[in-house]
Amino acid sequence: MPDKSQLARIGGRAGRGVLGLVGIAVVVATLGAATLVTLPTIEREPQSSEIAPLPSEQQRVCPGPLLTLAEDSTQAQSASSVGAASAVYGAVDAVSLEQIRPQVTEITAVDDMNSRQPPLLLTVPVQNGATVPPLVTGSQSQVAATDTIGGLAVAACAEAVSDSWIVGGSTDIGRTSLLLLSNPTPVLATVDVTVYGESGLIDAPGATGILVQPGEQRVISLAGLAPNVKSPVLQVSSRGGQVAASLEQSSIRGIEPGGVEIIGTTAMPAFNQTIAGVRVMAAVSAETVTTGEGFNADTPSIRVFVPGSSAATVQIGVTSADGTTEGTSTQVDVEPGIATEIPLAPLAVGSFSVHLRSDEPIVAAARTATDSAGGKDFGWFSASAPLVGPFAIAVAAGPSPTMHLVNGGAADAALTLTPAEGTPVNLQVGAGASATVPVSGGVTYVVSGGSELWALVDYSGDGALSSFALNPSGPLASSIRVYTH
Amino acid sequence: MQPRVTAILVARNGAKHLERTLKALSLQTRKPDIVITVDCGSSDSTAKLLADFGPTQFIAADADLNFGQAIDAAVRVTTPPTHDREMLWLLAQDSAPDPNALEILVDALEIAPSVAVAGPKVMEWIAGEYIHNFGESMTPTGATVTLVESELDQGQHDGLSDVLAVSAGGLLVRHTVWEQLGGFDPALSVVDDSLDFCVRVRLAGYRVSVVPAARVASAGDGIAGPNQSSRGRLRRRRVRAERSAQLHRRLVYAPAWTLVFHWLSLLPLAFLRSIGQLLRKEPGAIVGEFAAAFGAAFNGMRVGNARRSFAKTRTLGWDAISILRVPSAEVRRRHSLKREASLFGLHGERPEIRFFSGGGAWTMLAAAVVGIIMMVPLLGAETLTGGGLLPLSPTVPELWASVGYGWRDLGLGFVGAADPFAAVVAVIGSIAFWSPSFALVLVYALAFPLAAIGAWMAATRLTDRGSLRALAAALWVLAPTFLIALADGRPAAILVHLLLPWLFFAWFAAARTWSASASAALLFAAVAACAPSLAPALFVVWLLSVALAGRRVMRFIGIPLPALALALPLIVHQGLRGDWLALVADPGLPVPSGQAPTLQLLLGLPGSDGWAAALDRFGIVGFDPQLFVPILLAPLAVLAVLALLLPGARLASGAWLVALLGFGTALVANQLVLAAIGAEPVRVWSGTGLSLYWLGLVGALIIGLRSLHRFASTPGVVAALALAAVALPLIGSLHVGTAAVREGTGQTQPAFVAAEAQIDNRVGTLKLTPQADGGLLASIERGVGATLNQQSTLDSTDQTLSDREKTLAGLAGNLASRSGLDASADLAELGIRFIVLQPPGSGIDAADTALRTETALDGNSALAPVGDTEFGRLWQFGETDAAASTPIPARAGGVFGLVTLLIALAVVGSAVLLALPIGAGREAVRQANRDAIRRAARANAKQKPKRVRRGKGSVASDLEADLEVPLGTDLEADLAMDRETGVGTGLESPDDGTADPVEDDNAR
Repeated sequence: MPDKSQLARIGGRAGRGVLGLVGIAVVVATLGAATLVTLPTIEREPQSSEIAPLPSEQQRVCPGPLLTLAEDSTQAQSASSVGAASAVYGAVDAVSLEQIRPQVTEITAVDDMNSRQPPLLLTVPVQNGATVPPLVTGSQSQVAATDTIGGLAVAACAEAVSDSWIVGGSTDIGRTSLLLLSNPTPVLATVDVTVYGESGLIDAPGATGILVQPGEQRVISLAGLAPNVKSPVLQVSSRGGQVAASLEQSSIRGIEPGGVEIIGTTAMPAFNQTIAGVRVMAAVSAETVTTGEGFNADTPSIRVFVPGSSAATVQIGVTSADGTTEGTSTQVDVEPGIATEIPLAPLAVGSFSVHLRSDEPIVAAARTATDSAGGKDFGWFSASAPLVGPFAIAVAAGPSPTMHLVNGGAADAALTLTPAEGTPVNLQVGAGASATVPVSGGVTYVVSGGSELWALVDYSGDGALSSFALNPSGPLASSIRVYTH
Repeated sequence: MQPRVTAILVARNGAKHLERTLKALSLQTRKPDIVITVDCGSSDSTAKLLADFGPTQFIAADADLNFGQAIDAAVRVTTPPTHDREMLWLLAQDSAPDPNALEILVDALEIAPSVAVAGPKVMEWIAGEYIHNFGESMTPTGATVTLVESELDQGQHDGLSDVLAVSAGGLLVRHTVWEQLGGFDPALSVVDDSLDFCVRVRLAGYRVSVVPAARVASAGDGIAGPNQSSRGRLRRRRVRAERSAQLHRRLVYAPAWTLVFHWLSLLPLAFLRSIGQLLRKEPGAIVGEFAAAFGAAFNGMRVGNARRSFAKTRTLGWDAISILRVPSAEVRRRHSLKREASLFGLHGERPEIRFFSGGGAWTMLAAAVVGIIMMVPLLGAETLTGGGLLPLSPTVPELWASVGYGWRDLGLGFVGAADPFAAVVAVIGSIAFWSPSFALVLVYALAFPLAAIGAWMAATRLTDRGSLRALAAALWVLAPTFLIALADGRPAAILVHLLLPWLFFAWFAAARTWSASASAALLFAAVAACAPSLAPALFVVWLLSVALAGRRVMRFIGIPLPALALALPLIVHQGLRGDWLALVADPGLPVPSGQAPTLQLLLGLPGSDGWAAALDRFGIVGFDPQLFVPILLAPLAVLAVLALLLPGARLASGAWLVALLGFGTALVANQLVLAAIGAEPVRVWSGTGLSLYWLGLVGALIIGLRSLHRFASTPGVVAALALAAVALPLIGSLHVGTAAVREGTGQTQPAFVAAEAQIDNRVGTLKLTPQADGGLLASIERGVGATLNQQSTLDSTDQTLSDREKTLAGLAGNLASRSGLDASADLAELGIRFIVLQPPGSGIDAADTALRTETALDGNSALAPVGDTEFGRLWQFGETDAAASTPIPARAGGVFGLVTLLIALAVVGSAVLLALPIGAGREAVRQANRDAIRRAARANAKQKPKRVRRGKGSVASDLEADLEVPLGTDLEADLAMDRETGVGTGLESPDDGTADPVEDDNAR
């Protein structure tokens, strides 16, 4: 018979074993429960203030008259202006929509051998007590009919920015592209131009460190930077002062002028791009699109560029601008760093809006051409940034100007187009839909009632095709979120 | 005429000892002529015993009478003395005289008529062969000295006769002299009553003598002479009474003209002596110290009466007794002899920590080698940067200026409470006083060896096997959370990992020594300061400790005090904001971290992609860390769980409780986003909770392994190797570049600004940092830039925007925009001379914001671009006198700052004094000797069985049932403290407790 101490020891061990198992159960249960239960999160939001910068004076630079390179081969790099552009401009107070008269000064076109009519600088100071900057707008148009240049060129008067993209131009045989850089700021601008072509980045030694003095415009022949590039894409970045950049492209077919255009900046790289209006003057056959048969510089197409380092899959949606016909959609893969021309889907004659949706940031612009009795011309239709709130738009004189509006807002927009003089026009644009409105040349309109609108004005006529897109005032004036700790 | 002896026996609740005393009284060879018994309001059977004894007189008196008053009450009922051969024999309930004691005492008075007072040799109650007390004296400064105490009586003091004083119990005094001097001073209740009386007898021209042959046993009940118990309350009361008595006697004996000085010195002396009490590990005596000082200062009547009656009877000058005093040097010599004797006794029976012979040094060395391997890319660095690492203020005074409530020179600057972490940073920075920033390099350089030593020492509390201690060190050093904290640059988390083992080490011994208790309090404060999120878990452990501490609760109750005192201003400030939760935000520079899945936390990996990123970099893509990290860590977990089934399970369950608390902390921290840096929310770092979790796991594992004895090595090595495999990518993180930490340049600002800061140390730099959401973080840095000690959770958790912050936001927003604002006025007002635009992180929005800001600043004609620097693009603004526009306000903290600073100083200072390893005081040594004698006697009496089960009375050393340690290591742990302080269990253990030999799990 075991004695008492033995019994106690056995009992003690058994008790300890049981307690140990209980302990293990508690540990496992606690840890297991912790992994299964989702605890609530207590999260303190970072504190910040949304700062709307005090409005500053608004400036717009009109590119000025069309330029040609000197025919004299000894002065092949110097340009001289041809004729004069007619500009329309205006400004309204953003709140009261009262008319304000912009101050108009001139930008010195130092590279123009024949500076009869220099580019215009529109300046609107901030009105006393205003908390939002005034709406300033301007555009210019010029019809050229010389031996070397023919056609219509319309351009918006643009704001100077530090970084901009221009999709368009060509330095192929018979094509001339001139880069216009205007510096309206009081600070010297040092401009770097990066040119990409159909074969990638183009090594252009002269393209960096271009000095643009305050109040001056420089003209640079793109052929000097990047000769024989069929589809260039330009990034213009400046330090110090900012510049308004545009690209004048003209072409000669044999001995005939093939058209002229002043190409404005396109929207900054983004996943989604919208071209509010593209006017197709000649129907595109399905054959051209699918086989590439007959594809030439006149075929309506879109030039897409991926600035990043990964290939992008781009969904191109084309819808009839007035919403009358079904839209089409095509998907293409775009290599990065290479400017790619993509023919538009088979289209009838008419105007369309184009939406590009990509999985990488892209820049894009569309080009169409006309060939009629009056002559040949082509037009570039750039992507633009959405306009928030009311905006003003000055429609330069030209053949049948048409405003294209795309409503990117979530709600239908009841828009009112108020001309400077005359009766306002009311317009209903559904959410995500587009609309076209014929407008009058030489008139400044204020468009109110929209929340997120893309706007573009095109001109078309006999041997004339052109457009300009409207961009909001630069991102530098938008509000910014500031954290202080 | 025959001598007549009146024996007066005073008792209060003394039935326990009274029986023996009464019996001894009745067995006297020379019977007292009159016996008067005085019962001071007893509630037990004392009164009955006294009455049944059949005294001549039985007096029932009040309970509040002291010995002297009780004697007086008895004397009043006697007839006044007619001749000087009438004698009073003063006895207490625990004064058991030998049968011939009275006879010999009476003879002594009879032989020498000049002797007025004769005292017996007072022996121990149980250990009858030991002298309890034999003759008393004073030092030249008036401190009481017992001539002989706690010594084995071998007749070595039997030559003693004339002394300055004798103790009260058993004292025989001539009745006439008693009447002449008016008995004991009523102001001296228990302590020094007979000393004072004897001094007065001496100065009245009589002699006082001890009679070695007359022996009286005393139990130290506290009726005649002070209570001898070592129980906290009684002991504190005795210490207080001793000090009161000393001060009273000083004021009574002092010449009249020095009274003012003595009186004025009372409080300052109390203050200084309090510091001494802390150093002597007697914090309980401080209250008594002050009570005694106040009592002496504001009881003028008592001193006056005593002085008058003294002057009336005094016939001799002080010179007459100077030869009877004991020189102070002699007192010190005796003390050191006793102390050595008691320490020798302790060391004889205890194992050692054996740091060198036990392998501690080798473990440390190995850890240092691993550390060097990990830190190769940082070798030779003078400063570190990245993650949460920032330089420290360049001078030590500046470091300390950032402690406490006051001006926080962070960003715009504000008046607020510093994080307690600032104090930790100041301490560390002061170590590297020549260049405080170098302290962080030191922390990194020594992190591995320090972690190893800490874990090794902590393991000494659990096991005496060198291999297991080394294993604990290895597991602790390789803890993933520690390695990630090192790679991420989280100085606070690193410190927590280094301090936690020491906290355990000290906490474990806190029950036994004040030094360990105070060390634990300081370490608690440091850990809570480094990781406020750990404070709740530590509080839980503290509450359990207090609940289980029993009578040693005082050793635990104060542990959180330094932490609270340091955090007090912050608690008040956050409380006023109503944001209590923000108190647990991590101090230091906020470092964002991802939310870790719970499973990952379970593996001890805090929110960091260290493992996955490292695997990718090594090219080991085929492995899923989610799968095979658990497999590698499984042995560790299994062993820790197994500990619950092995002997020592009780301790292991305590370890698991700590682990669960740590895991819970990590889990909750993982869900808390309290701070933000710019647009980026900053999660509370879960790694510190995981350090506590790891501590519990390693503890449980060691407890489990030590029970496996010789089978322990294989599983231990397997667990360590598997952990090493997990740790490998983390150790390599500095090499492959996944770590945030890198060698710094010593600057956080562009050199241009740093040069300017040499001239104007208030020069302001507006730092603009583009945020991932397209926003902009605007912060102002003054002088050479931000410092670690100036960081504040008040700022990082602030949910409001002050007016000045709105101004700054407006300024930054307009500077970053094309704006019509003339920024000059705001820039000048905020004292900004430079603007730095930091390079944006990844993200298209941040790049856009950076471009926009750069464009706007470039286009701002008020700013001159300086150029690109390694810290971003720099602009200069000309017209700022920063020092004048943004001065640091003087005394920004105000009264609140001062008061909280004094509180913190007092509490932390007390803890430091208490923690200092300085030898025990005299009182402790005396007490220890008494206790040792009694224990030995009791043990002999009981014929001590081999094993004594834990009794009710021995709860004292069973402080933390959960962290309780079996005896084998308990003794060893004690030794650690003994070496530091000279005080150990033996010296301070309860007088009624045995050495508490617990059933030892190790023994089998």
